Amino acid sequence: MNRRTLISASAVLAVAALTATSLPAQAAEVGVSSTSITLGMTLPMTGTASPGYNKIPGAMKAYFDYLNANGGVNGRSINLKVEDDQYVPTQAVAKTNKLILQDKVMALLAPLGTANNKAVAASVNPARRGVPVLFVNTGFSGFADTKKYPTTYAILPSYVMEAKIMAQYIKDNFAGKTLGLVYQDDDFGTDALKGFTQAGVTFAAKVAYASGSQSATTAAGWVSKLSAAKCDVVILFGVSSATAAGLGTAAALKYAPQWILGSVGGDATTIKAAGVPAGVLYNAVGASFAPATTDMTDDYVKLFSDIYAKAVPGSAFDNNVLIGMNTAFVAAQALKAAGTNPTRASLLAAIDSKGSTFASAALLPLNYSKTSHVGYSGYWFGKYSPTGDLKPVDGKYVLYTTDSGSGAVVKSTWTRPAMPAKGLPQ
Amino acid sequence: MIQFINTILIGLTSGAIYSLMAMAIVLVWRSTRVINFAQAGLALASAYIGYQVMQSVSNYWVALIVAMFAGAALSALIEIAFMRLLLKHTSSGPIASVAPIIATLGLLGIIKAGIAMIWGGQDVVVKPPLSNTGFSIGTHTLVFSPMKLAIVISVATLVLVFSVIFQRTNIGLALRASAFAPEIARLAGVRVDLVRTLGWALSGAAGAVAGLLLTSNGNGSFSPESMEFSLLLISGFIAAVIGGLESLVGAVIGALVLGLVTSFVLMYISGSLFFIAPFVVLLLVLFIRPQGIIGVKAGRRA
Amino acid sequence: MHKLSNKKRLVIFLLLGVAIYFLSGAVDELRVYQGASVAVFVVGISSIILLTGYSGQVSLGQGALLGVGGYAAALMRIHYNAPIWLCFSAAIIVAAIAGALLGLAAARLSGPYLAGTTLALAVGLPSIANQFGLLGGEQGLLFDVGFPPLSLGQDFTQYKWFFWIASLATLIAIFWLQNVMRSRYGRSWKAVRGNDVAAELAGINLTRNKTLAFTLSAGLAGLSGALLAMTIGTVSPSAFPLSLSFSLLTGAVLSGVTTLGGVMIGSVTLVAIPEIAGAVASRLGSSEAVTNNLPGLLVSALLILTVLFVPNGPVEQLRYRREHRVKK
Repeated sequence: MNRRTLISASAVLAVAALTATSLPAQAAEVGVSSTSITLGMTLPMTGTASPGYNKIPGAMKAYFDYLNANGGVNGRSINLKVEDDQYVPTQAVAKTNKLILQDKVMALLAPLGTANNKAVAASVNPARRGVPVLFVNTGFSGFADTKKYPTTYAILPSYVMEAKIMAQYIKDNFAGKTLGLVYQDDDFGTDALKGFTQAGVTFAAKVAYASGSQSATTAAGWVSKLSAAKCDVVILFGVSSATAAGLGTAAALKYAPQWILGSVGGDATTIKAAGVPAGVLYNAVGASFAPATTDMTDDYVKLFSDIYAKAVPGSAFDNNVLIGMNTAFVAAQALKAAGTNPTRASLLAAIDSKGSTFASAALLPLNYSKTSHVGYSGYWFGKYSPTGDLKPVDGKYVLYTTDSGSGAVVKSTWTRPAMPAKGLPQ
Repeated sequence: MIQFINTILIGLTSGAIYSLMAMAIVLVWRSTRVINFAQAGLALASAYIGYQVMQSVSNYWVALIVAMFAGAALSALIEIAFMRLLLKHTSSGPIASVAPIIATLGLLGIIKAGIAMIWGGQDVVVKPPLSNTGFSIGTHTLVFSPMKLAIVISVATLVLVFSVIFQRTNIGLALRASAFAPEIARLAGVRVDLVRTLGWALSGAAGAVAGLLLTSNGNGSFSPESMEFSLLLISGFIAAVIGGLESLVGAVIGALVLGLVTSFVLMYISGSLFFIAPFVVLLLVLFIRPQGIIGVKAGRRA
Repeated sequence: MHKLSNKKRLVIFLLLGVAIYFLSGAVDELRVYQGASVAVFVVGISSIILLTGYSGQVSLGQGALLGVGGYAAALMRIHYNAPIWLCFSAAIIVAAIAGALLGLAAARLSGPYLAGTTLALAVGLPSIANQFGLLGGEQGLLFDVGFPPLSLGQDFTQYKWFFWIASLATLIAIFWLQNVMRSRYGRSWKAVRGNDVAAELAGINLTRNKTLAFTLSAGLAGLSGALLAMTIGTVSPSAFPLSLSFSLLTGAVLSGVTTLGGVMIGSVTLVAIPEIAGAVASRLGSSEAVTNNLPGLLVSALLILTVLFVPNGPVEQLRYRREHRVKK
């Protein structure tokens, strides 16, 4: 064989590879068979952004397995196909293409990451294909825009909302104190800055860190700057590894301001697993929209942690797991509401019309309607106990709610309805 | 004032840790003319072995020593089983410069994947043996603690030991000779292959210590995807290049320069310049001295 | 092997174009998209072949140059609503300028020093996007090449349009690159790669030679980056990570870094590997930890095996064997 032949051969190989596809038989609705519904998910399972997030598929599958063992949704079991995108948009697009075009999933569930979801929206264009994109796993406020992303539903409160609510909490409780902020220099952090600025909060020290640079060493720099500016109250609005680094280093440097932890990085279980002593967390303020993961008096927490412990023994039940299982629960209800012969269109219509009545573990309602794809829109504040668990102040959940725009922050009077029997969609 | 002092201390500590990795890279470069990207993977593996030892013995220093030997052994194994084969097949042509990089990158990937498969992707913790609470000066607290002091002392000791080995002992002479002129060294009776393996073993040991000390600089927790280890690789390599790749002292100086400059940039300009600062430092140094701070300009063979 | 005349090569490329046209009609949408991804890699890998294979300089930061091209194209589109060919041209030119600057700095550096510099570049450059609001930060900018013209029919999918644009750009780029490699510039690179002292004595200006290689290679990388931006519809720092630079290098080694002939092999492998590895992993996978990390393990293992046993790439390997067979 000579060189020219090899070059031609490789070209032929390429052609063969591209044409070697078998098209599966057409189903009634894409991803729906008489016995199952297939959903697809992309998120970082490996790579630097994966720690913590790579527990989510296991959590969701734990709930879906439990659901399937109890009859599934209208007699169909729910299958979740998970693809690793390593937090790179090119891979997110490639894997989403595989899920939609090859695996023929009915809908995408909880795809993770702002840049990734934007790339998928721009390239794969699920809206044009009519593919529902359920409950995106990001707090970027833009995805709730029904004109830009007509088939996409947000679920997490946006970072702007959280910043505004935090600003209100600070005004109510720490007026006049010197404020400091540690934030990540990407959409996560800048979205929050927008919210703080809008609420008129001024910081004596604003410390940005490059995403991926958070460590004990860089945290020492943050603490130095914060203490030099004599901040009494410091908001840590970063991811868990940043929060852990910040808290641990500050303790080592005997700097103890009043900490306020953002929800993304505020999970007590993750922080303690990263080696931060419970005593350091004690009395820090934290925010969440779901019950605390250690609150065994809560029906949802008890049920979900039971299910998870049986499905993935030895793995800690942290916030990523609780929120993951909750999202799976909400998705299951959406599929049930889509009817006995669900289609993509009926799924979208079901969320629009009935979404606001879906049961969920969160202490705030879902805001779905024909004109709103916003999920949760608020937080409650608590303090970490001496054992480092987040508990509501005075044992009562006080919920604040707002929007991602210029709306005011108000206290919510909503009470969560009782959990449906066995935590299954009714 | 205290901020200034703290900036220096932060830079010194991180520079010290990077210098171990930079030394490991220089050791391999000088003995085999290869940049070993898998070095950080070996450091990670050694840290995990240290963790495993801690589970049974609960003594940090024992774990550190075991990790060091494990790192040395693993590194030597890679040299024997892998690098010799690689260099035999790719000793000439443009592939010669690229192949070892690709191969060691592949090795890095295998090590990381292997670790994740055995120990899982979540954090494990090796509790630092000494307190990380900063020393106090009056009302201020320094960013320097017993643990950080121990780190700096350990690094200084290792640098000293390695320098002595290289400059003052016969083995060191053999190491330098084998890298510089292998054929002549062989003629002089040096077991070049064995000596090369030794070079890799020393490099593995340095890397292992760097890995474990790195985790002790903070909370002691790490995972296969820990930021710190990816940074260790890149910073160690850049530090080695800044220092000139030719001497251990150069590696240490390069690492300290990198650590200090980055620390100042982060403190006084902006924390978001973390990934840009090393590039600028590197460009500046190489612009003024293309062979690095203590590099030796390669002579022209007429 | 006889070198084909320029006219014959032009005909071959035109035929390839026609073949691709028919191919795009025969395969399904997923494969068409993957075809566009293959095109991105073909251009990207060929930029490395030029820089490393021909000019002998190692760059660990080609991904950063792809990023420069991608951002340039996106900015042209967003701020000036420029037509696509102009956006691509901007990508090539801006990246080439960056490459020229890098080349001037790099001309004095060799081997590991150059590798270290390009590595630092790969890590540092994407994060610049977070410094300037114009560059859109972490969430990135949109790059919308628009819908295919209506004249192509209602059923003409967006991905087919991507494939056509990418294939055309790739064919032109590779044709041009082959011309360059056969010109006196290509010969002078090969001379410097072989023995730089002798080359200098023969009158070749080393600095200019090396800088030219960097410039042209960067231009190609810029085009590859613009094509990549087209396929994902956005540019963001996370789209040009360090792993992209390593993937391109990997693809170049798989293809055979000294020759353009095998560039398809590397490109197809890079696109196909994640899929194959994923399929293998899900079939073999026991625990979750194993299933998640198996693809990474397989890719790394393939890399090592290739470097060990087929270091110069399949094309060169076969030529070597043929030459040696003749000698017997």
